[in-house]
Amino acid sequence: MDGDPKLARLLEHPAIWRGRSAARFAVLPSGFAPLDERLPGKGWPRSGLIEILTARFGSGELQLLLPALGALTRAAGARWCVWVAPPLMPFAPALAAAGVVLDRVAVVGGARPLWAFEQVLRSGACDAALAWARRPKPSELRRLQLAAERGRTLGVLFRPWSAAREASPAVLRLGLAPLTAGACVTLLKGRSTDRGAIELTWPEHRPAPLQG
Amino acid sequence: MALLPIPAGTQPDEAQSPPAAPARRAVPLAVPVVAGASGVVAAELWAGVHLSGLAPADALLRLARRAERFTPRVSLEPPDGLLLEVRGSLHLFAGVTGLRRAVTEECRRLGLTAVLAFAPTPLAALALARAGRAHAVLEMSALVGQLAPLPLATLRWPGKICERLARCGVRTVGAALRLPRAGFARRFGTAQLAVLDALTGRSRDLRSAFRARVRFRRRRELTCELENHQVILATLAPLFAALAAFLTERQCGVVELECLLDHRHAPATRCVLRLAAPMADARRLAELLGERLERLPLPEPVRGCELRSAALVPQRPDCLHLWQPGEHGGGLSSEASGLIESLRARLGEDAIHGLAQLEGHRPEKAWGKTAPPAAAGYRAAPRRRTRSPPVMRRPLWLLPMPRSLRVRDGKPRRRGPLRLIGEPERIETGWWDGEEIARDYYTAADIHGVLLWIFREREAPHHWYLHGVFG
Repeated sequence: MDGDPKLARLLEHPAIWRGRSAARFAVLPSGFAPLDERLPGKGWPRSGLIEILTARFGSGELQLLLPALGALTRAAGARWCVWVAPPLMPFAPALAAAGVVLDRVAVVGGARPLWAFEQVLRSGACDAALAWARRPKPSELRRLQLAAERGRTLGVLFRPWSAAREASPAVLRLGLAPLTAGACVTLLKGRSTDRGAIELTWPEHRPAPLQG
Repeated sequence: MALLPIPAGTQPDEAQSPPAAPARRAVPLAVPVVAGASGVVAAELWAGVHLSGLAPADALLRLARRAERFTPRVSLEPPDGLLLEVRGSLHLFAGVTGLRRAVTEECRRLGLTAVLAFAPTPLAALALARAGRAHAVLEMSALVGQLAPLPLATLRWPGKICERLARCGVRTVGAALRLPRAGFARRFGTAQLAVLDALTGRSRDLRSAFRARVRFRRRRELTCELENHQVILATLAPLFAALAAFLTERQCGVVELECLLDHRHAPATRCVLRLAAPMADARRLAELLGERLERLPLPEPVRGCELRSAALVPQRPDCLHLWQPGEHGGGLSSEASGLIESLRARLGEDAIHGLAQLEGHRPEKAWGKTAPPAAAGYRAAPRRRTRSPPVMRRPLWLLPMPRSLRVRDGKPRRRGPLRLIGEPERIETGWWDGEEIARDYYTAADIHGVLLWIFREREAPHHWYLHGVFG
């Protein structure tokens, strides 16, 4: 029965729960083979809240997500990719160069970021939503997680490293530290994953040579 | 909805069908009904209404609005004429007589006196009505004979031309029609010849259709004064129910909705809701208006409320997908515009925007804000690669303004010394618009390994600035 690809595809539907496969859910390749190996389901979850913890802004957290965001926005029938209250303005040429289709990108302004993030996750209009938060309450995180499940959206919350000790309802939590040409990713929480650090190299880590 | 001109003359679909058999028209001859010898019924029948006597300025518009119940093809001929194409609706009003009675009744109700004439061309119907001849000319062959005795004044030509024609002894339409065409056009103008052609059906007469502007407007006076926003919203509920029925009836949506709250002394509070896409769901509209109202300070208690819509927009019902968005390529439908509405209602009009890449080498001018991404109608990413040839590496984050960096021993610092990586990229452009830049951009790593995009001005004193973060 499992040999039929059509049937197999149908059974991948997240609403179908099969007894012998406890942890089957739709995933999205991250674009980094070593990371995919370690992530539950071999990729980013398609829906649910994940947290990326960094000591400093700009440690490579976007580089980590860009291949996946690009693939999401390029897909047929792509939904939006929404940036909720980013600390700086995302630079459109860099996003386009990384393969993100700008037609599918929207930026939501600053006031009440957590409320806006919840609306975005819940709406079902987005494939992915990114948000930055200093100190969300556990109840707010729970709401975000439920909203992301309901809207079938990948919600990414960027938080400071100090949040690593707090409990979180996110399906996946990663810590990130910059290296010279990449980053060191630590899995802090995830279903059926082994913990430990992974070293990644960015695809275009070197600055391009001077033109002319 | 675009206003299309109504072609007089044959209609394409009717032109194909064989000529209809002469119908038995038992019309009581209170007014002359003229049928020609051929018995061929013209493809169109126009009713010309001429308002005689003193009519108020907006009488014509009001009559046009009422006349839309006789035919969808109503055309205005200001200041005192109205044309209805009634061939298709004759049988619904018991023929010419019944229709005449119904239209006259409408005019009487509006307090207007009107002459009504029927003819196969619009101008002829109007000319007959203006001449005060309430005839019904049903066939093309009988038309010229009926028009001939009409005075030329019924055509409303410029006075000068009428005078010149009168000097030649031409005082009736018939006499004008008998003149040689070429000479007539040369002496009295081609415009006048075109009118004669349109009058007799020789050329098509294009008429722009009248469409009544339909808007929703409903008031509710309150028996007590209200201050609580929730209660005010609850009192608006019947108005929203009426709006829902109104929109459903017309299969239309609104893109703008205005709510007026009246006070005892202060001027009425206005609350305008602008939507990203036409919406017909009154419950959702009420929710969004509620969000707006909550943020609205009320100077005084509310005594009455009114709901007004702007122009209606035809509503296409949402196509429901088999898969929900995000499942196996299920696309976006109404979720996206719903999200925009909620964000805008709470956070303001500029709560959400899109991003666009602009042509230009200056980093500040290489991007721009756009309207939020299109909600619907998006199927797949364009196949062409937008990646321009060799792109220099750009940071994912750009500072709104370059931030000055401290310098020690000629080296830029930010929480410690910065380490420059690779070769600089020179951007020197913009001399033509007064915002010239001349900078050498470097990638730099701070002591924590965060990659920054910094530049050094080429002009003395060579300041260092932080302009982006690679993220």
